[in-house]
Amino acid sequence: MASSAAAAAARLSGAATGRVVKPIFSRDLDEAKRRVRELYRAWYREVPNAVSVFQLDITVKQGRDKVREQFQKNRLVMDPRVIDMLVIKGKMELEETINVWKQRTHVLRYFHETETPTPRDFLSKFYTGHDP
Amino acid sequence: MASRVLVQCVRSFTQPSARVIFENITARASAVPVANQRHFSFNACSQRKALTSHTKVSSPLAQLCRQYGDLPPLTLDTIRERVLYVLKLYDKINPEKLTGASHFIKDLGLDSLDQVEIIMAMEDEFGFEIPDAEAEKLMTPQEIVQFIADKKDVYE
Repeated sequence: MASSAAAAAARLSGAATGRVVKPIFSRDLDEAKRRVRELYRAWYREVPNAVSVFQLDITVKQGRDKVREQFQKNRLVMDPRVIDMLVIKGKMELEETINVWKQRTHVLRYFHETETPTPRDFLSKFYTGHDP
Repeated sequence: MASRVLVQCVRSFTQPSARVIFENITARASAVPVANQRHFSFNACSQRKALTSHTKVSSPLAQLCRQYGDLPPLTLDTIRERVLYVLKLYDKINPEKLTGASHFIKDLGLDSLDQVEIIMAMEDEFGFEIPDAEAEKLMTPQEIVQFIADKKDVYE
């Protein structure tokens, strides 16, 4: 009965978009958003723990802002399957952070501290020169 | 809090049934000096009564009762005060524009993730889990107060 309901829902969404696809976890956008919120909660609760376990030199507020920034990067995604995939990848990252399978360098890679920023305005591009 | 519990114990012990039980206990304790819990506490009570004659509660019966700890009872006003206090502490909310009916997303200009953070702050404040299915519907402080009152059975 659940499978027939899922098939009916897929047919309805397929009628709207013109394509019927098998969902990964969530059947519609609301469920996908719910999964995103659950992931955000888990990350929010994990940040102070990670800051103390990895002995990072950032404040908890900075860590939480970084989590918010990573979530905002994908805010324009509307496809539930893509959202599910992003949630799965976020959960994998969270698991690695909670169980301390990562090290400090992996966590600080989110902060892009040692990378030189790419030039955006004309003069910076001019000074760096033309690298074909 | 503790005084309230003590008074309750004294009130329960001044009832005749409890007194009869106490008389039996004293008879048994004096007859057979067995080292059980009640015997010890009775001894300690009598010693304590002899030493500290200026105790607040007169009878040594009160020393036998247990003392539990609990939070102060919740009322709608205290819930409302705490919810508004937590919201004022949140740095993305302007405290002047905050009222009981201000919508988080439409009036205060917050994000859905900000609303998740607010609900998590409420969870930490009141000490119980708010599942996401119900949390996504709480969009004003008044709704949060109503939800917590429903969960905690405060004036229904």
